[in-house]
Amino acid sequence: MGIRKFAMIGALALAGVSLFGLAAKAEDVTLTLWSLDKDIQPAPNLVKEFNAQNNGIKIEYRLIQFDDVVTEAMRAYATGQAPDIIAVDNPEHAMFASRGAFLDISDMIKGSSVIKPDNYFPGPLKSVEWDGKYFGIPKATNTIALYYNKDMFKAKGLDPNKPPQTWDELVEDARKLTDPAKNVYGLAFSAKANEEGTFQFLPWAQMGGGGYQNINAEGAVKALETWKTIMDEKLASPDTLTRGQWDSTGTFNSGNAAMAISGPWELDRMSKEAKFDWGVALLPVPKEGAERSSAMGDFNWAIFSSTKHPAEAFKALEFFASQDDKMFKNYGQLPARSDITIPATGEKLKDEALKVFIEQLKYAKPRGPNPQWPKISKAIQDAIQAALTGQMSPKDALDQAADKIKAVLG
Amino acid sequence: MKRFLSSVRDGRGFDITLVAFPLTFLFLMAGLPLIYNVVMSFQEVDMFSLGTFARPFVGLKNYKDLFAQPETWPILGNTVIFVVGSIAGQFLIGFGLALFFWVNFPGASWLRGLFLVSWVMPGLVVGAIWNWILSGDFGVLNFILKESGIISGNIFWRSDPHFSLYAVIIANVWLGTAFNMILLSVGLSGIPGDLYEAAELDGANAWQRFWTITLPMMRSTIGAIVALGLIFTLQQFDLFAAITSGGPNNSSNVTQYWAWDLSFRQYDFAKGATISVIMIIFVMFASVVYVRSTRHEVRG
Repeated sequence: MGIRKFAMIGALALAGVSLFGLAAKAEDVTLTLWSLDKDIQPAPNLVKEFNAQNNGIKIEYRLIQFDDVVTEAMRAYATGQAPDIIAVDNPEHAMFASRGAFLDISDMIKGSSVIKPDNYFPGPLKSVEWDGKYFGIPKATNTIALYYNKDMFKAKGLDPNKPPQTWDELVEDARKLTDPAKNVYGLAFSAKANEEGTFQFLPWAQMGGGGYQNINAEGAVKALETWKTIMDEKLASPDTLTRGQWDSTGTFNSGNAAMAISGPWELDRMSKEAKFDWGVALLPVPKEGAERSSAMGDFNWAIFSSTKHPAEAFKALEFFASQDDKMFKNYGQLPARSDITIPATGEKLKDEALKVFIEQLKYAKPRGPNPQWPKISKAIQDAIQAALTGQMSPKDALDQAADKIKAVLG
Repeated sequence: MKRFLSSVRDGRGFDITLVAFPLTFLFLMAGLPLIYNVVMSFQEVDMFSLGTFARPFVGLKNYKDLFAQPETWPILGNTVIFVVGSIAGQFLIGFGLALFFWVNFPGASWLRGLFLVSWVMPGLVVGAIWNWILSGDFGVLNFILKESGIISGNIFWRSDPHFSLYAVIIANVWLGTAFNMILLSVGLSGIPGDLYEAAELDGANAWQRFWTITLPMMRSTIGAIVALGLIFTLQQFDLFAAITSGGPNNSSNVTQYWAWDLSFRQYDFAKGATISVIMIIFVMFASVVYVRSTRHEVRG
């Protein structure tokens, strides 16, 4: 008797649960959203605000780690369990878009009153494009510029209001600022063998007239030669080769480097840690009047093409975009929009810095977009490191990288 | 059926059942992924065909492409240096410590236990700590070497291609020494004491006793440790990720890190699998050594 009774109860319970499930489904459309944002960052908070609207769409949020975003997402897509919405790093956007994994939302954008392509900075916008169509919208953006220690400039007889404008000036100033006796290097940046190295070098190559398609252009070779001069003369720590941007800028904050190349994500930490007067300048150019360029970072929103609710998912994106004006105030991130003026925070150094970053953003270029980006990036990293360690000349290293990239691009 | 049941009862079939369970488990959990990996190395795989098994076969193309890459031979060479250097360091220091604690002074076993701290630490934590110790400008190791007059200028352990691989080896030796020491201590305590008494009566000095009794009696333990060491060092991944990321310019890259980089950074899963197959051959060699060395134990 026992077993049968239990079986009945079990069956009833199951039926109850599934009925309940169906009832819930009839009311609300449930979407899933994956991102790497933690609770003080935008995604989970935007999801909370969206759900609070009670408009018949509920979003379930899932946090994934930075290193797992791509592998997890593609595994889920391959097995048909992809989320509806995902936040993905901008150089990886093309990889998904080119394989039809992301939904083409060009038509929805055309009909939208919230999302307008013209409102975005050209760089971030380009990173969501593939084949002339839009496969997502930029979530936030960032770029790199030159931080410099004004007190050290003064101490070495340099004008604190005249940060270096060109590559030659940068090297010249770094020479004056480097002080081995005090453990001070002129410059801190990152040439690490990962995406950070590419992120830091590519703007230099682009300012020199190069790019990932012609990484061995004359100007790009000159850029790498400049880097090599900086490394050979010990104007930057040799550990630049293995240190990421966060650690490198840490040496600037602690007064062991007079200048640092990094992004706005450092601002909060720097205003707390740096006990000196600092400023931010645009990334130096090859020579006066040369074309500016900058790296572009941060994530994009995208809808997976496997979603059953494309219209609802797009509604969510529209809501996120409508909150872009609060991005910097609430989360310290820069919206990828040129139509939004970010209100001042009241901290003088930070507000000054923000102005420069906004200016620098105008020149920000996406990496790629190319579905084979990781391999292209690896070729560039290898070239940087081969040249800086003296194993190859900058020209040979970049020639080899160009060959590798040509093979990848086919 | 009846014969089978009776065979279970009289014990022979029971043996087979007992063996069948772990074998099935082993095949499902270890065998299938292994075969899958080998098959993958002959296929063209990208991130979107990862979920299906039907992928175009390309024969030996992955192997050919891999060996055409300029970094392949240096990386294989690095792997050999890393494995040999790590095992030698871990074994020699571990054996030294085991002999030292074997003297059994007061507190010896307590101290020996403390040494295990390094073994229970997660690799990434060990990596982060050594990352600081080995740092070029402000690292503790450089400070000690400079203060004691061994070097005059800072060595950039992580960033100088001449040192980067050895930086990881140093960290790995530190990490694995405790494990070697414990296993060797166990081996040492298994040697009957009367052998030494007899040898001493016959006039053998300490060196002769070590050479003629300790070492031969430890043969199987040493074989096992070297084989396990080979497997553990070929597995070592965290330290590379934390200290050098395989850089600069692949000077500290080894096959296991490269396989990960190819698969999960460049999404070239086929090449990652190809490297893994090459590593499997290495590990199979290690298992043969291990099995051969532990065979003695059954008889003894």
